[in-house]
Amino acid sequence: MHGDHLNRILYVEDDADIRKIVSMSLEMVGDYTVAACGSCADALEVVDDFAPDLLLLDVMMPDVDGPATLRELRKRESTADTPAVFITAKVQAGDMAHYRRLGVFDVIVKPFDPMVLSDRVGQIWQQYRSGGHDVAG
Amino acid sequence: MTSPDEIVAMELARLSAAFVAQLPAQVQAVEEQVTAWLDAPQDADRYDVLSHRVHQLQGSGSTFGCPGISRAARTLEQQIGALRRDITAGRVPAPAAIESAMAELQNEARRAQTPSQGPEASP
Repeated sequence: MHGDHLNRILYVEDDADIRKIVSMSLEMVGDYTVAACGSCADALEVVDDFAPDLLLLDVMMPDVDGPATLRELRKRESTADTPAVFITAKVQAGDMAHYRRLGVFDVIVKPFDPMVLSDRVGQIWQQYRSGGHDVAG
Repeated sequence: MTSPDEIVAMELARLSAAFVAQLPAQVQAVEEQVTAWLDAPQDADRYDVLSHRVHQLQGSGSTFGCPGISRAARTLEQQIGALRRDITAGRVPAPAAIESAMAELQNEARRAQTPSQGPEASP
């Protein structure tokens, strides 16, 4: 069970520039603590020590994509139940149904405005805490 | 004193300028990968490399002030997917739509290099 307040976000994104601006936005505007990882392997290295409140995962990554990364993170005790949010441009009906089956709580659609991203993440967290809907639900 | 919002906005402006500066090389790489894939459309690795690069352009274009790049990359991604489905289904592939989408991506890249037209504000 996670606390009431969102503090620690594990963020996985292979695009270095997007990763940088998103991390800056979440840390400086949203005042969150962010572990920014470039791959599933990087994420698995830090996740147990970091113990995130929220998983923020890019979907389309080379080698191990977002859904596969989530499956790996679900095997870890520290993130077995941690709410997950995908960031993706793949939001066709079939994609959303797939994310729902994976248990993803919400989706942030690419492209997005980095300046308002932390607000969006905060809203998603409030929705999660209040028992709101999950993706496509 | 500079606020956190201003610091993020300045970094966004810096990354946007770098994105625009790298666009010609990025689009050139896409063009080469399109050509390579069309030469061997059954090659899954070539398809994966191409589709990932185009998808990345789609996702980062608008974020870095170039919504036209995102639109053109999305069209190209759709056309690449359609051609792949044709190939998988055993139909004769017709790459004209991909060539058209590629030309539009090149146009958008040129437009982004024009100071009066790009980069645009983020959505």
